[in-house]
Amino acid sequence: MKLKSVSKILLAILLLLVPLLLRNFNYGILICGFIGIYIIAISGLDLVFGYCGQISMGHAAFFAIGAYGSALLHKYLHLPILFTMVIAAVIATLIGALLAYPASKLVFHFLSLATVAFGEIVYQLVAQSPGGITGNFTGFYTDSINLLGFKINTNARFYYFALICVCIFLLMKHRLVKSKEGRAFLAIRENSHAADGMGIDVKRYKVIAFATSAFYTAFAGSMYAHYVRFISPETFSNRQSVMFLTMLLFGGTASLSGPIMGAAAVLLLNEGLRFAERYQMLIYGFMLLVVILLMPGGIYGIIKKQIDKRRVVS
Amino acid sequence: MLTVKDVTLRFGGLTAVNNVSLTIKQGTINGLIGPNGAGKTTFFNLISGVYTPNEGEIVFDGVKLNGKKCFEINHIGMSRTYQVINLFRKMTVVENVMVGLHPKMKSGYFSAILGTKSQREEEKEVLEKALDWLDFVGLRGNAYEMSGSLSYGKQRLLEIVRALASNPKLLLLDEPAAGMNSKEKEELFDILRKIQNLGVTILMIEHDMKLMMGITDYIFVLNYGKKLAEGTPVQIQNNPEVIAAYLGED
Repeated sequence: MKLKSVSKILLAILLLLVPLLLRNFNYGILICGFIGIYIIAISGLDLVFGYCGQISMGHAAFFAIGAYGSALLHKYLHLPILFTMVIAAVIATLIGALLAYPASKLVFHFLSLATVAFGEIVYQLVAQSPGGITGNFTGFYTDSINLLGFKINTNARFYYFALICVCIFLLMKHRLVKSKEGRAFLAIRENSHAADGMGIDVKRYKVIAFATSAFYTAFAGSMYAHYVRFISPETFSNRQSVMFLTMLLFGGTASLSGPIMGAAAVLLLNEGLRFAERYQMLIYGFMLLVVILLMPGGIYGIIKKQIDKRRVVS
Repeated sequence: MLTVKDVTLRFGGLTAVNNVSLTIKQGTINGLIGPNGAGKTTFFNLISGVYTPNEGEIVFDGVKLNGKKCFEINHIGMSRTYQVINLFRKMTVVENVMVGLHPKMKSGYFSAILGTKSQREEEKEVLEKALDWLDFVGLRGNAYEMSGSLSYGKQRLLEIVRALASNPKLLLLDEPAAGMNSKEKEELFDILRKIQNLGVTILMIEHDMKLMMGITDYIFVLNYGKKLAEGTPVQIQNNPEVIAAYLGED
């Protein structure tokens, strides 16, 4: 028990020192910021896919709604950026609920088709927007986050901002999955007929899971927009949705740490394989196959198995 | 407490339940028997809300159930187990029971995210209650195992206690003794008596006639979707029509 809390404190110190350790390697800090964004995005996807057992192949759409929503609100209504990020995420939550309400009747493969279609609709909307407000294929520039005059405009600053956000979102997820809502999600995943028989309003909880996950991914999208300060439709194609799923499956579903490991592993791999960017989709496809065939629990599953084994031995 | 009046259910041209009426009295243990394919499980699905009858009405505790959904019927006070074990396999034993307690919980989504004091206290209470229920069927020692890894007989007991956790007035048991050995069946017999003593009314489907005749107050017989007979166990055992249906005579 003591060892556990000591290692937790060491981990926290290490995370706080990352910008200092990488001070001569700004690019490394940049990547760490992105890892934070993706952890939030796929932690949300995990709620609906890992916990509730409902697939979404269109989560890039929520990423886009968050990014464009926040950037547009800032550009046209001149609202402060952190505020626009929250509003955009709330809008995505409502859209997610609206989509999930009819879609909650669909079984797995039909739901995946419906979400692919949704992703495509949002992609087309930002690529060919009414009045060209999104800058269409050219994309458009936006500002960095401004916390009451303190600009989050360096990689190190964004890193700390992302670290705080990740902690908040993971804490919320932890509380949610340990509550009656979380048990309802799992019950629906495990056996929706029995969940229904035990008095759980299956439709309602499917909508809740989907809407919550939209909030997570959209907020991550808005972080992305104000980190990169430039957004274009390319970032929000179905390729992004596939990347989310790859990260989640690779890291391991239905856990807090799975999405962390998945986001880090896939992003670092991406950077390592920059020279082969053309083959990105091929690599994701290959990784998905490897995960499904050889390590169905992802990295998290492998680690958990080892820990369980050791417990049985001792 | 449960009145089924002239209920018919058709699947296309097939009449699965044909003009069945029955009444179940408060506090009794009732059996539902019949040869394979007689429509017993379909009848359970009908009263628990999986299907809506084409004709007739089902009234439970003064509420008409026609058209109500499963989870709503659970909230009114009817809970059930399944012929094929339907546990949440990758959840722990105690979590399964906590899901059973779900309809009794008040705190909502935002109090969970914020981790409010009342929400945490309720979680604690529910955990305690769930552990008490596990005590009731002797599964407390297995509380933190995955439910899918329990033995078959224990899985059956867990299904029963998961259904009981919401304090139902009527408990529907679909073949609770299936796959149990004789020792487990004896335990089940005692547990059923204990459930009756809690004031819960039981309606059960079961093929084990010894158990059925020993514990029930009243038995209904279904054959080809129709009610063939009803009566006390002794009356049913001596009913020539029932004997014919079971032995396949003309």
